[in-house]
Amino acid sequence: MSAVITIWKKELRVYAVNPTAYAFLAVFLFLSGLFFYLGITLTAEASLRVLASNLAIAELFILPMLTMRHFAEERRQGTLEMLLTSPISPFSLVIGKWLASLTLCALMFLGTGILPVILAYYGNPDWGVVTTTYLGLFLAAGAFCAAGLFSSSLLDDQLAAGLIGILLLLPFWLVSRAEALVGDDLAEKLQPFGVLAHLDSFGRGVLDSADIYYFLGMSLAFLFLTYRSLESRRWR
Amino acid sequence: MAVTQTRRRFAAGSNAFLVSVFVVAAICVGYLLVDLHRVRLDLSADQGSVLLEDTRSKLALLDREGKPVVITAFSGQRGKKESYFKDRALEDLLDELDYASQVVEVHFVDFDKDRLTAEKLGVTEYSTVVVQRGEARVDIKDRELFHHTGKGDDRHLDFLGEQAVNRAFAQLMAENKRIVYVLVGHGELDPDNHDLDGLSEVAAVLGQDDYELKRLDLVRQTDSPVPRVPDDASAVAVLRPKVQIPPLEEDLLLAYLSGGGSMLFAVDPGTPVPNLVGRLGVAIPAGRVLDKVLVFPYPDRPVPRYKSHPITKDLADDSLVTVVSDVAPVQAAVPPVEGVRSTTVLETSRDGWIDRGGEVKNGQGRFEPEIDQAGPAQMAIALDVTPDSGLVKKKAARVLVIGDSDVFTNGILAEGPGNASFALNTFRWLVGDEDRISVVGRPTSVRRLALSAEDGEQIRWLALGLGPLLIVVLGAGVWASRRGR
Repeated sequence: MSAVITIWKKELRVYAVNPTAYAFLAVFLFLSGLFFYLGITLTAEASLRVLASNLAIAELFILPMLTMRHFAEERRQGTLEMLLTSPISPFSLVIGKWLASLTLCALMFLGTGILPVILAYYGNPDWGVVTTTYLGLFLAAGAFCAAGLFSSSLLDDQLAAGLIGILLLLPFWLVSRAEALVGDDLAEKLQPFGVLAHLDSFGRGVLDSADIYYFLGMSLAFLFLTYRSLESRRWR
Repeated sequence: MAVTQTRRRFAAGSNAFLVSVFVVAAICVGYLLVDLHRVRLDLSADQGSVLLEDTRSKLALLDREGKPVVITAFSGQRGKKESYFKDRALEDLLDELDYASQVVEVHFVDFDKDRLTAEKLGVTEYSTVVVQRGEARVDIKDRELFHHTGKGDDRHLDFLGEQAVNRAFAQLMAENKRIVYVLVGHGELDPDNHDLDGLSEVAAVLGQDDYELKRLDLVRQTDSPVPRVPDDASAVAVLRPKVQIPPLEEDLLLAYLSGGGSMLFAVDPGTPVPNLVGRLGVAIPAGRVLDKVLVFPYPDRPVPRYKSHPITKDLADDSLVTVVSDVAPVQAAVPPVEGVRSTTVLETSRDGWIDRGGEVKNGQGRFEPEIDQAGPAQMAIALDVTPDSGLVKKKAARVLVIGDSDVFTNGILAEGPGNASFALNTFRWLVGDEDRISVVGRPTSVRRLALSAEDGEQIRWLALGLGPLLIVVLGAGVWASRRGR
């Protein structure tokens, strides 16, 4: 556990001095504000629902770029071998880096805290729905960060790792919009695999065990694949 | 040496691959299991995001019976105020119904794009929901799905779709259609007549709600050795007979009523009034009802005011006007007949009166106190006839007496925005389907933001500028402090 905390602290320190992290944070907050503004002007509703569905798609592109450096950079600098031969297990390494990314995501969402405050000032939002909306976005962020870590563990090049991460996640978004590509019947069958279908309930104030499991399962699968990818370096 | 290493790599690689596939597959199987046994917790304030217990139990019943139910919801008019909320509320409801049942198939159709589906189902209005089960079908209209409540700044839109679909399920699960018999043989309005004075349109409206209008000829009955109102009658309508109904037929109608039957009587000025109406304590005085508040440019069309009654409740809420034409006054007897409770359903404004002839100016009647009777004048009265009256036996009966038959005809039905609902609600009340009229369960409210242009401007700068600015300042601070070290 202490190894996980050590890695987590180290990664947070790196984020704190990394201008790229600030740039992504600023872009994320700008997009949040934009989606929020468009949402409330188009619908005149005291809700974050329009913001949530658009922000999830933005997360899908931003988070792999934010996590792309984790293993790719270590490998490029040659520090990954050192870490893997140290007493820190690959498991602690993966979890520590994932938790650090999640902490950054939590800070990003904290930065959007002004938006519900604006809603409360001008209207009467349903706080239960606001809470579940944020929970859904946070769970999705966890899954996307795990996918980003996995792609980062595969390649030396940061940018390539980021793009692979996006490519890995893209199908989970596209199946939610598959009607135009594959016809209504197949699209309906593919819906349960899509990210947006699982965020919908959160946006209505409903906690659904299947939706929660979907995001946790996705995180778990990618974290496990990341672990296996690092492990493979021992015998490759 | 190299061969051994390659073998070891291959073994380790295969093992890693198989374990990875196994773990990912196990996670997917876990998802399928969780999906089969979902647990849902609604944290929204109005608890409106998951289905009511009653709806869930009806869905469970439908699942057990296994007969497919198809729900087709049509979108609201694009660009129209509130269409976004209406569409979203309908889509959310469809999602929930889809989750909750194996046999329910849901479709959300863009009314503007997919006209073919609308034509196939005979749907002509936006935000309509069609619930089908085999041959049976129930149409739910926009006004049954959405209600405006409150006034001024507090005015908001409530969604009552779940209750409406719930009622449709109940109706589809009921084996028999409700049959309303329309008396014929005395020059009455005819449900099979497609002319302006026919009832074919109202028959179609009722048909969509699983009511069937059938002709009742008590003289030429072929399917019964003794003439009588059939046992499957949910209500009997006597709509503007042109000649007096013979005593024998009146007795048959009374026999039906005394068994707890429901009846609708519609008369026009100058047409014969069935004796049964008088026995129930309702008089149709001479003259016609006029009002200064009228449907322009028709002087004989007073705008009826809705009194508090289940028949008029949603009409009043939605401010829908029911058009009546050439109306006879309807008055409850004073003192009332014992055991008969009368409630006014429609009446004129205070400026209305019962006109008994006299001067006509520009084709318009004028109130003359010496011969006319000052308003408000009653146009329709609902009666609850209890056994205390001696007219019915054990079961109470319901009767509506209205001084206008045109309100139900093809010619007027299309002109009045509230006429179809008035007709539907009348029969729903008569047969005791009150829950189909009244608002039951919990409506889901839309939380609106009332923003001025100035508010919009402030929000734009706060939402778009504040967050990124803070991050830029924070980043610059960190950069400066590191540079200073």
